Amino acid sequence: MFGFGKKKAKEPKIESTEFVLLTAERKEELQQTISIKKEEINHSTGEQQAKIYEEIGLAFYELGEEDNAIDSFEKSIQAKKSLGTAYKTLLKLYNKKRAEAAQANDEESLQLYLKKMDQMMQVSKEVTRGVF
Amino acid sequence: MSVVNFIIQNILTQASVTIALIAMLGLILQKKSAGQVISGSLKTMLGFMVLSAGSTIIVGSLTYFGEIFTEGFNMQGIIPSIEAINGQAMNELGLGRDIALTFLAIFVFNIIIARFTRWKYIFLTGQAILWMATMTTVFGYFAGLRGLALILVGGFIGGVFAVAMPAIAQPFVRKITGMDDIALGHFCTVGYVFEAGVAKLFGEKGEKKKSVEDLKLPAQFEFLQDTYLSLMVVMIPLYIVTAAFAGEAFASELSGTTNYLMFAFIQSIQFVVGVYVLLSGVRLLLGEIVPAFRGIAMRLVPNAKPALDCPVLFPYSPNAVIVGFITTTIGSVVAMLVLPAFGLAMILPGMLTAFFAGGTAGIFGNLTGGARGAIIGGVVHGFFITLLPALLVTTFNSMGFVNATATDVDTVTSALLYAWIIGPLLKAL
Repeated sequence: MFGFGKKKAKEPKIESTEFVLLTAERKEELQQTISIKKEEINHSTGEQQAKIYEEIGLAFYELGEEDNAIDSFEKSIQAKKSLGTAYKTLLKLYNKKRAEAAQANDEESLQLYLKKMDQMMQVSKEVTRGVF
Repeated sequence: MSVVNFIIQNILTQASVTIALIAMLGLILQKKSAGQVISGSLKTMLGFMVLSAGSTIIVGSLTYFGEIFTEGFNMQGIIPSIEAINGQAMNELGLGRDIALTFLAIFVFNIIIARFTRWKYIFLTGQAILWMATMTTVFGYFAGLRGLALILVGGFIGGVFAVAMPAIAQPFVRKITGMDDIALGHFCTVGYVFEAGVAKLFGEKGEKKKSVEDLKLPAQFEFLQDTYLSLMVVMIPLYIVTAAFAGEAFASELSGTTNYLMFAFIQSIQFVVGVYVLLSGVRLLLGEIVPAFRGIAMRLVPNAKPALDCPVLFPYSPNAVIVGFITTTIGSVVAMLVLPAFGLAMILPGMLTAFFAGGTAGIFGNLTGGARGAIIGGVVHGFFITLLPALLVTTFNSMGFVNATATDVDTVTSALLYAWIIGPLLKAL
């Protein structure tokens, strides 16, 4: 029953393909998207706001600015709890931060991200059960 | 010497003190301040006492239910509730101290296995580990183990499950989430893999495979929004119908001056109150211990994958959760009606297990067998997760448990390991 992991090791890791080098043009494009979207936020509420924060978060994520991405995704879920891209990417980022904290032996950050991951489980439960 | 004897005989025998001391150890290892160590230990102790109080309420209600069910239907009606099992084992059976120490041992064995083998999983769902510790302790005790052997064997078996279950689920989890850095830590995995197998066998294959995610489904179940509300939805009709079958003459003997149906109604709410109190106790109890030990575990095995609770998979396949819940409920109801014909007790359906275990199993079924696989696999899964706890009823009865059986199938599997393998081996020696 422990044989499961063996052959899977050969499978290509999905994450490794995600971080491609950004061209200067793409970077500029993303930064522009962020500033435009930040403007839009002020004129929106609820679900729409959540969507814009998600787009900003994804732009930051592509730029490799993880802390900013986390901040935007958290705001997106705060504006409207949902289990879309913002949720999935945020959980992935939390887990990455948690792993980094564990490597660095940083107890405080480790506990912080473990707690945030707990909260994500709660959000998933609530959204699936229809609590908004 | 008399002081040492006093400490051993009067203080360390108290389960609440042992548990508080475990929390204290965790807090000291985290280098918390004296104030935090004291308050954390006291809160843990309080948690244990609240848990015990909840258990007393549950037992009161279940004793009543057992009597009217036997009178009404001429057979035993068992409520699947791991909370009730844990409460009774900790409180009424006096296994609280052993369960607490086994809980700690499971953490330690989980770390050792993850650190020194290639199965690098740290099980982070504290509540599930408590349920596992409960079952290994109860069945280890029943098999004849005592003292250190009981705790070490339970800790080892629990530790192996804490690593093996996420490892077995991981090939599926990898496909569901599209990544390999998070694992599933929920002790219902035997059921998930079982459903995946059934779905693969009976589901759609290749290009014909149609995911339930392509279907439009009504996504909301209002009564499920609140844990206690969903418990009441099941318990209220269950108690009232049973009281009606037991008849006014019999049920009135138990209800005194209160109308017998009204009494059944109040007792059903009492059960939910008991679960509410017990789970508040569990939260207090684990609130200090779990963060301390999982912090230690993650730092000792920094490259380990965290095994998270089942909602981690819900976002990847929300429709499959709904399909899994409905089909598992159907399978449980079928099993409830069929199992007594084979001489087993009647296991009443548990809505919360059907939702969390059934929902997650639905994701597995949909993955391997598409919509058809999720539907057929879900019904069979419902039957399966009702059958396994039914096999434990005789043992629970003989140990003095009142009208309850366990739910999470991995903990049931560990119990069957004791009952079918470890117990007979010990007797043969």
